Amino acid sequence: MSELSINGLRKSYGATEVLHGLDLEVSGNEFVVFVGPSGCGKSTFLRSIAGLETISGGSMTIDGADISGLEPDRRGVAMVFQNYALYPHMTVAQNMGFALRMAHVPKAEIARKVREVAEILQLEPYLDRRPMDLSGGQRQRVAIGRAIVREPKVFLFDEPLSNLDADLRAHMRLEIIKLHRHQKGISIYVTHDQVEAMTMADKIVVMRDGNIEQVGSPLDLYNEPVNRFVAGFLGTPRMNFLDATSTGVANWRLGLKVGGMTLSPPIRPDADALPEAGAPLSLGVRPDGWRIVAEGDGLAGRVVHAEQLGRETVVFIELEHGPQVAMIQPGQYRLHSDDAIWLAPAPDELHLFDASDAALPVARIPRTNSHN
Amino acid sequence: MAQPPTHHRRDTISALTLLAPAMILFGAFILLPLMQTFAWSLYRYEVFGGVKEFVGLDNFAKLAGDEVFGIALINNLKFAVLSVVLQVGMGLVLAALLDRGVRRFKVVYRTIIFAPILVSTAAVGLLWSLILNPSIGPVDDWLGLIGLSAPRNGLLGEPAFAIYGVIFVGAWQYTGFMMVILLAGMQNVPEETYEAARMDGCKGLRAFFHITLPTIRNVIITCCLLTVIGAFKVFDLVYVLTNGGPGNATEVLASYIFRNAFEFGQIGYANALSVVFLAIAFVFGLIQFRMIRR
Amino acid sequence: MKSLAFFPRTRRMAIIMHLFLLGYVAVILFPLSWVVIGALKTNREMFLDPTGLPADPNWGKFIEAWNAGVRDFFINSVVVSGVSVALIVIASALAAYALTRMNFRYSGWVYLLTVLCFAIPVHAVLVPIYGLLSDLHLLNTHLGLILPYAAFGLPFSIILMYSFFYEFPAELEEAGKLDGCGPWRRLWFVVLPLSRPVLISVAIFNLVGVWNEFLLATIIMTSKHMQTLPLGLVSFRDQYGTDWPGTLAAISIGSLPLLVLFVIFQKYFVRSMAGMGK
Repeated sequence: MSELSINGLRKSYGATEVLHGLDLEVSGNEFVVFVGPSGCGKSTFLRSIAGLETISGGSMTIDGADISGLEPDRRGVAMVFQNYALYPHMTVAQNMGFALRMAHVPKAEIARKVREVAEILQLEPYLDRRPMDLSGGQRQRVAIGRAIVREPKVFLFDEPLSNLDADLRAHMRLEIIKLHRHQKGISIYVTHDQVEAMTMADKIVVMRDGNIEQVGSPLDLYNEPVNRFVAGFLGTPRMNFLDATSTGVANWRLGLKVGGMTLSPPIRPDADALPEAGAPLSLGVRPDGWRIVAEGDGLAGRVVHAEQLGRETVVFIELEHGPQVAMIQPGQYRLHSDDAIWLAPAPDELHLFDASDAALPVARIPRTNSHN
Repeated sequence: MAQPPTHHRRDTISALTLLAPAMILFGAFILLPLMQTFAWSLYRYEVFGGVKEFVGLDNFAKLAGDEVFGIALINNLKFAVLSVVLQVGMGLVLAALLDRGVRRFKVVYRTIIFAPILVSTAAVGLLWSLILNPSIGPVDDWLGLIGLSAPRNGLLGEPAFAIYGVIFVGAWQYTGFMMVILLAGMQNVPEETYEAARMDGCKGLRAFFHITLPTIRNVIITCCLLTVIGAFKVFDLVYVLTNGGPGNATEVLASYIFRNAFEFGQIGYANALSVVFLAIAFVFGLIQFRMIRR
Repeated sequence: MKSLAFFPRTRRMAIIMHLFLLGYVAVILFPLSWVVIGALKTNREMFLDPTGLPADPNWGKFIEAWNAGVRDFFINSVVVSGVSVALIVIASALAAYALTRMNFRYSGWVYLLTVLCFAIPVHAVLVPIYGLLSDLHLLNTHLGLILPYAAFGLPFSIILMYSFFYEFPAELEEAGKLDGCGPWRRLWFVVLPLSRPVLISVAIFNLVGVWNEFLLATIIMTSKHMQTLPLGLVSFRDQYGTDWPGTLAAISIGSLPLLVLFVIFQKYFVRSMAGMGK
């Protein structure tokens, strides 16, 4: 059981601050994923934890010990780099044992540990090869092996799968998760790919512009995004956003006008700030939150294109009042371009955001979350 | 891929047209002369255009007993070994300082250190011959200051020292060149590799020895080869600084070939020397090619 | 941003490193400045105080040296270097293109021949070249120096361009084919414009080599008015031996052209010369 605690972490390059006071607590054997668009600071955050960047403020502790001023090799962390960063002139075994050699660990012990890790990663046949003679996936495993050998408390992964093709990526995702379970430590994984985040994480940290937007389990974030950015970032196709206007509250229901349609979802019992009549809102509906309804019942639109995937159908629809939306329907629908269609959001699939993009937990009834 | 024969022929003709200038120059100025070098090395041949008398391997037999040839060969070897140590060694130190040592004025340093390669070796030789000249150059005065008496004919007039003077001047000119090549190699080492090294607890000079040097190994080998090849080809420096003297103390292969052909009227013998020279240079040249192509 | 330094990032270490580099720079700059300053002195001053500054700088020596022959050497060097570098760049580009891009059955053999020529130093064929040029009546002519310079500059240039063209994406040329360009037009409109970096590299290292070449020039240019700069400077010394400031002035202005080019095109020079290590 390790514990990583970060308080008010800041990082500036000259006069430009790129990380604006980040707080994060990670404990136990959590697999944490930092996700966000490029330039959001997620890599800088990771590298600050690694000690590759000097921080300009705040503190970091692992198991209570302050690590902020320590050299990378003294922090109890290990890192897997995006381009593997294997030493080209060393064999696989030498690559994996290098950190121990630098720490003056006796040769026999290095050899023993390297063999042990190679066994876990099925790298034994390659121990005497050089990185140049390995495939992408094998290099990736060596890079991971090099980290494991050091028995760190925190594993850091910097977009480690971005150089692999789709099949191998899916495979390595699973391998990394399995290793993480086996190793018992904290893993922090940086990616810009929200699918990786959703599939791997125990805890996702969504970042934007050097700030943490939201921290939580994948389903928490999917179901209860705190703002429009998080809502739009997780899930493919993205959540659809439509302009809506409040018509006020009546009978524990909130009146909404969207395009030509009126909605009156029930208000959540714990809702506090309720929008006044006339307030401009943004209505978010996930692609799988649409229902096809009878003619004249919801929003009118025309099919732009339907992707027939067999198990499900992804339909892109241009609504009559302007916006284009995506809809996923399970099963097969033989829709064609220009077919007329009527849609309405399912009542428990409504996300509302106010003018400042913050989520209004007004109407949506939370799904029961078996994760907790 | 099967192509209609007319296409093929047209391509062949185009290719030959494009290759013609290079091939004609190779033939006339490299390959034909090469044959002649081999052929003439078997003759006694004393005046250009004059009589050639076939003597078989006599010229080569003469080589074996030629004391000056031995001096020249040893001088070339000294040149090669010491140049590698001075040029590549100092080049590495300078490159390391500019790559991950100092943080300011790097371009200024690099520019100045590189500059001597752009001055012709003849001019470099001239300028050092003047600096080392006992009557107008300052070096003898400096030796006096630290209590050493300079040789009467200057440092380059001292048989035991002259060759080292020439080697020093060569290093003065070429070290910057080596530094630039090595620096380019060092700058090609990915930043991520150094970051991985830091994570592994390897930094400072340890990183230089454990990461940088092995990673740029091939560049270092190429530099050594360039230096060794250069050392065997050296001519202008010797010609200008000492003209092979005093006596034959600084004779090198190239100057000895030149002297035999154009001063002593020993054309056949010069060609025999050329054949030996060729054998040495050819081996290094092919190794160098292997390195460029990797 | 370099995250790792070879030496501790302390003020003291920085001072030591700068002192070391400054010391080295002084060793480079001292002889160069000694030459220029010496040219401004009188002969008497040279003998009395080799390192001193001139009491009354005499700039006239530069003009004197220029008129006493350096001008001719300079012109010869410009003609010989200019033409031979142009010849090398053009012929090597054409040859490398033919070897990599054309369906030519003997490409492999021609390439092998090029490598063979690369490994043959000019020193080894000095005597026959002299004989050949003498037979062709090309001794003491510009062409007599240009042709062998081109021949010996070509192999390495072809090898460099060969590896460049070899990695040049075939798609681009195929696009040219689809746009209706024949091989010549593809070379001119597609390949050469995109090969600028390698063409410049080849031009520069050949320029440096040819501009400073000495051995061939010595045997071919025996008459003084045909000599190139490196040669001319040496004969200048031999002729005006006791006029030290004059000799130093000749060395100064004779060495200037390439240094000026270097300062202007520094980036290209460094890249070209560093490319030798590839």
